[in-house]
Amino acid sequence: MKVKVVTRILEANERLAEENRKRFKEAGVFVINLMGGPGAGKTSLLEKTILELKNRIRIGVIEGDIAGTDDAERIHTTGVPVVQINTGGACHLDANMISEVLPEMPLKDLDMIIVENVGNLVCPAEFKVGEDMKAMVLSIAEGHDKPLKYPLMFKESAVLVLNKVDLLPYVNVDMQKLKNDAISLNPGLKIFEVSCRTGEGLHRWTEWLNGLK
Amino acid sequence: MHETSIALGILDIINDRCIAEGYHSIESVRLRIGRAAGIMPEALLFSFDVAKMETPAENAQLIIDSIPLGGMCSECNTEFEVEEAYVLSCPKCGSAAFKIQKGYEMEIVEMDVGDTERDILP
Repeated sequence: MKVKVVTRILEANERLAEENRKRFKEAGVFVINLMGGPGAGKTSLLEKTILELKNRIRIGVIEGDIAGTDDAERIHTTGVPVVQINTGGACHLDANMISEVLPEMPLKDLDMIIVENVGNLVCPAEFKVGEDMKAMVLSIAEGHDKPLKYPLMFKESAVLVLNKVDLLPYVNVDMQKLKNDAISLNPGLKIFEVSCRTGEGLHRWTEWLNGLK
Repeated sequence: MHETSIALGILDIINDRCIAEGYHSIESVRLRIGRAAGIMPEALLFSFDVAKMETPAENAQLIIDSIPLGGMCSECNTEFEVEEAYVLSCPKCGSAAFKIQKGYEMEIVEMDVGDTERDILP
């Protein structure tokens, strides 16, 4: 006997994400889901961003990794509240993992939470966690072919931070193609070119971020 | 890459439904998966077969209808489908003014269930 089901597979996650979003909204916290491949510079960008903005915006961080607390320790030294989630193998954070650690976040004392997702260019783009905005970091050394190979994340993100531009003389990357393809996939995409190592371009990014709050 | 999470999500939905409505078992389940949804069918089939053990769906066969990415061009009014998991411009006229209509689906359509326990029990 056939039974009609007609249910979105990720419906349960989307419902939980919406609950998280309501809690963030009630507390007046703007939430960014920060995504990117391993080694793109997500944590470095976070460190630089926090140091630049922490006197103007009260930031909290939720760190997602398969294992380890290295990233949370790095963020801890900047002096902002941080919680580490270890997914124990899962390739992305989901809404349930976020709601479980929310009691550890002083929501009332924060303006912005940045959720650093598991390093991965595929899966995090599909699971909402309750964010207001998705942001992605790509290091230019990863190559200009990434937008067309991993279109979903470029499509879902509101902003793309191209990191490690200090490596431009040493890598074979066609920046124009990279940016053109990303914009073709997502015409509204905002792009920043930065180097977390030299500090180049970071000011434009942090000022833009400051303007969101 | 996250096909195991997807498989567990599917099993939660169909097993809950099976138990709530008093069916005995699930024989098959049909999905619609868009080609731009980021799901590898082979990996999903594998994860499903592992995760379904000792649930009402343990003998269930997973049937995946793959939906190509497609849209409608606002420039030349043509409906199109592409082979890739992305589309940058209308394949007919090259315009970037198009609306995606399909290719991101990730849904359960229906399931085939065995006899209800209500029929079997006195």
